[in-house]
Amino acid sequence: METKGPSKERKAVRDIALMGAMLALLFAGKRALDMLPNVELVTLFFMLFARHFGKKTYPVCLGFTALEALLFGLQVWVVMYLYMWPLLVTLVLILNRKEIPLWGYSILSALFGLFFGAFCAIPYLFIGGFSMALAWWISGIPYDLVHCVANLVIALVLFPPLDKALFRIRETLELG
Amino acid sequence: MKNKKGLIIAICAVIAACAVLAVVYQLAGPKVQSGTKAYTLEVVDDKENVKTYTGKTDAEFLSELMDELTRQGEFTYAGTQGPYGLYIEGVNGLIADYDADGAYWSIYVNGEYGMYGADIQPVTDGDSFALKYEGSNGN
Repeated sequence: METKGPSKERKAVRDIALMGAMLALLFAGKRALDMLPNVELVTLFFMLFARHFGKKTYPVCLGFTALEALLFGLQVWVVMYLYMWPLLVTLVLILNRKEIPLWGYSILSALFGLFFGAFCAIPYLFIGGFSMALAWWISGIPYDLVHCVANLVIALVLFPPLDKALFRIRETLELG
Repeated sequence: MKNKKGLIIAICAVIAACAVLAVVYQLAGPKVQSGTKAYTLEVVDDKENVKTYTGKTDAEFLSELMDELTRQGEFTYAGTQGPYGLYIEGVNGLIADYDADGAYWSIYVNGEYGMYGADIQPVTDGDSFALKYEGSNGN
């Protein structure tokens, strides 16, 4: 019996290619702004991918963390990446269920940057206890403030046009 | 119009959250002491050889003190600016390559393991700092 639409195998191949493209964009985006600490495109890309491709973004989070670890070695931030990016994707998936204006994602991006250090302090609870985690978070607040402002500006400027572009790509290539 | 109002309110809420965190940093963050301060800085290399620097400085942060010593030509260091401050990679020509063998440079402040990076570690009068090469075998 013939079925409409692409076969399971074709869909799987397409998904793998899609995830590869997402990973490549994330990696290139990260490297492009490496010289500016706490100014990054990764949050923006993860939000866009989660909005358009949903749960397919979770394996990309793992792939991105693995690629970064391969390049820079296994350090504490690898543990942080393992839960921070899936957390962001989960938050976007929750927002996706509600009809919120596009700027809502910019606010999420800003708050994610602002509390990035607080969430990243979690591994230090196990390394040096509560006082170490708290000291580590507080000492990093100036960096979190930069991260927050940068994320807000980047998302306010780039989220709407990239969202539109991804919507078109998704429609044209029947992705998502 | 309603949309714009919502955005403005949301941005105000983000600014308020930023202000709260800035206050937390002011109250509980690393405290800077201005003026001249006495210091001791020990560099412990991979063979546990110790080189000691003592003196007085106006530097407010450890990285500024390290820069001052570098300018005096007695000390060198290499580091990169990471998302949460300066990461020391090498001191006096000895590079710690974490990827190769798990080695790194740690900071001790008055005998305690340092909580902050060199660029946010304040220098206060009488402080004793140590930069220690920590090898994978515990050296």
